[in-house]
Amino acid sequence: MPPIAQYVFNGVVTGGILALPAVAFSLLWRLLRFPNFAVSTYLTVGAYVALMLNQGARARIELAWLGALAVTGVVALAVDRIAFRPMRGRRPFSLAIASIGVAFVLENLVRFVWGNDFRSFDVPVTRATSIAGIRVGRDQLLILGVAVAMMALAQAFLLRTRLGIAMRATADNPLLAAVKGVPTERVIAVATLGGGALAGGAGVFLGLDASIDPLMGGGLIISVFAAAILGGVGSAPGALAGALIVGIVEEVGTLVVPPTYKTAIGFTIILAVLLVRPTGLAGARA
Amino acid sequence: MTTMTRRELLKASGAAGLVIGAPAVLSAQSKEPIPIGTLCPLTGAGGSYGPDMQRAVVAVVERINKAGGIHGRPIQLFHEDDQTNAEAGVRAARKLIDVNRVVAIVSTWASAVTLAVRPLCVEAKVFLIGVSGADTVTQGEHKGYVARTQPNTNLQGRMYAKFAVSKKEWKRVAYLALQTPYARSFGDAFTGILKTAGVTITDDLIYEDKKPSYRSEVTRILATNPDMIMLEGYTPDSVVMAKDIYKAGYKGAILAPSFAINAKFIEGVGAEVAEGIWNMDRAPLYDSPAYKEFSAAVLRTDQSPYAPQAWDQMSIVALALAAGRGEVSGTVIKDHLRAVANPPGTVVYSYAEGAKLLGEGKKVNYEGASGSCDFDAIGDILSAPFSVQQVRRGKSELVQIINP
Repeated sequence: MPPIAQYVFNGVVTGGILALPAVAFSLLWRLLRFPNFAVSTYLTVGAYVALMLNQGARARIELAWLGALAVTGVVALAVDRIAFRPMRGRRPFSLAIASIGVAFVLENLVRFVWGNDFRSFDVPVTRATSIAGIRVGRDQLLILGVAVAMMALAQAFLLRTRLGIAMRATADNPLLAAVKGVPTERVIAVATLGGGALAGGAGVFLGLDASIDPLMGGGLIISVFAAAILGGVGSAPGALAGALIVGIVEEVGTLVVPPTYKTAIGFTIILAVLLVRPTGLAGARA
Repeated sequence: MTTMTRRELLKASGAAGLVIGAPAVLSAQSKEPIPIGTLCPLTGAGGSYGPDMQRAVVAVVERINKAGGIHGRPIQLFHEDDQTNAEAGVRAARKLIDVNRVVAIVSTWASAVTLAVRPLCVEAKVFLIGVSGADTVTQGEHKGYVARTQPNTNLQGRMYAKFAVSKKEWKRVAYLALQTPYARSFGDAFTGILKTAGVTITDDLIYEDKKPSYRSEVTRILATNPDMIMLEGYTPDSVVMAKDIYKAGYKGAILAPSFAINAKFIEGVGAEVAEGIWNMDRAPLYDSPAYKEFSAAVLRTDQSPYAPQAWDQMSIVALALAAGRGEVSGTVIKDHLRAVANPPGTVVYSYAEGAKLLGEGKKVNYEGASGSCDFDAIGDILSAPFSVQQVRRGKSELVQIINP
C-alpha cells in the first residue's frame, strides 16, 4: 500500500482545479443571491475555447489558456445580460432553475459546434517524477501553482481594491450599498466576468489533466456545489478549503471504500460536516 | 461449376423430400415466398455496420433462391432500419411481424434494440437472431425464440484470459474496469481462468465514469506491482486512465477491448502513450470455407466482425427451415436451430451443402464465417474466435487469432 501522502497529494490537485469554479460559484451566489449552476458549464466553454486556439490556431497552450480566461469571462457576462439581468429581483429558486436552463443551452451549443466526441490538447504527456516518495507530475504542479496564484489574486482583489470592497458591500447588503452609491450593476458585471474567467481557466486545467468533452464541466457541478456549501457561501478562502476537502476526501476515501463509491463517500462526509456546522467552515452568515 | 452440381443435387433432394414425410408434402407444394425480415442499423450509432450486415443477408438469400429456395419456396426479404434506436426498432419490428408476417427477424445490432423487440417476437412466435452482446439479451424467459452469434461477456472474459495465459511473462495481472453492467461478469470469468492457470490477480478494481482524474485508482493498482493491466472500459474513460497510468510511470503491458482502443483513443492519448497496448475483438473464422465464400460474395465498407455473423444467421435460419420438412414458422426455426448448427452431424459450410444432406435425411452441423456457431440452451454461442491487435507506431496491427 503506498503512503497515504500520495492520495492526499492527488486530492490536493483535484481540489485545486475544483477550487476555481467553487470560488466563482460561491462569490456569485453571495452577490446575486442564487446558486448559478451554469458556472460549471463555463469550464466546458473555457476548455473548448482553448482547444480551438490550441488546435485550430496552433497557439501555445499558455496563450490558449489566457484566451480561454478572456472569452469565458465575456461569455459569462453575455449570459448574465441575456438571461439573468431581466430576472433580477425574482425569487432565488426561479433564477437557480434558469441557470440550469442556461447550462443545458451552453452544453448543447458546444455539442452542436464541436460534436459529442472527446478531444485532447496538443501537448505531450510526460511521466511523473518522484519527490520524497510521492509521484508528482510536472503539469500537476503547474496547475496547482497557477490555481493558487489565481485564488490569491481574487482574494487580494476583494480585500484591497475599491471595486472589491464595493463587491463585498453589495454582497452583504445590496440595498444599503446601492443607497451609499455603489454601482450595483457594474459590480455584478465585474464579478461575473471574473467568475467566468476563473471557471474557464479551470476548464483548461481539467482538459489538460483528463480530456475534453461537452459534459466535462456539467459533471462537476455537484462537487463544486458541495465545496461552496462546505466552505460557507460567499467566502473565497472557505470555497478553497471546501474544494480541497472534497478533493482529498474523495481520493483518500478510495483506500477504505471501493472507488465505485467515490462520489458517495465525499458526500457522506460533507453531510456530516454540515450537520455539525451548518454555516460551513468559514461560518459566513448563510 | 460446382454450383451447377449443387443446384442439381438440391433439386434431386427436394424431390426426395416430397416422397418422404406425407404431411410435409402439402405445405411444400406451395410456392409462396417465405417472408423474413432484417432489422439492421442503417443509421445512428451502428450506421457504419448495418449496411454490410444487410448485404451479407441479401447475398445468402440470393444464393438460396437461385438454387430453388427452401422446399421449393423462395425467401422474400423485408428490410427495416432500426436507426440504432429501441423505439424505432420496435416500430419496425411491429411492421415486419404484423404486416409482412415474417417468420424470423435477423441481424439486430444494438442490445437495446434486440431487448426491445424481443418480447414482440416471443409473443408472435417469430425467431430473433442478432449480434447484440449484453448478457440480458438471452437471459430470462424467451421460449427459445432468441439467439445470437455475438459472445456473451463470460465467453469474452474466457477468450481474453486464454490470450493472457499464453503470454508467459504476465505473471501478475490487475483487473481495472469501468462500472458497467458487464464489468463483474467479464471480470469473474477473466480472473477466474487466470487464477486457475497460476497467475496472480494483484488487484480487482471497478471505477466510476466521468471522474476528472483516476490518479488514486492508478496509485492503488500500481502499488500491487502488476506486469499486465486488463483495462475494460470505453474510449473516453480509457483515454484518461491510460494517460494517468503512463504519467505514473507504469512500463508494463495493458490489454483492452478493441472497441475502446480505436483511432479516437490513439488520437486522444498520443502515439507514445498508446504504443504497445494490446487489444482484442471478436474475429471471423478467417480460414473457414464459409468465410472465404462470404468475403467473395459481400462487398464490405469496413472489417467489423458483424457482417460475417449476419451471413451465418441467415444461413442457419434457412437450414433450420429446411430441416423442418416443409412447415414454415418461427417455431420450426427455434426447434431445429441446434439440430442444424450444433454437433453431431456432418460439418457443412453453406446452406446449399446442408440442405442437400438434410434432404438425404442426414444430420448436419453448420460451421460459419464467424465461427462454429454452436448454441447453448439459452441461445448463446459456445465459442468464437478472437483477434489480438497491438498498437504499433500509432496504429493497431493484427498480431494473432485466438481460436477457441
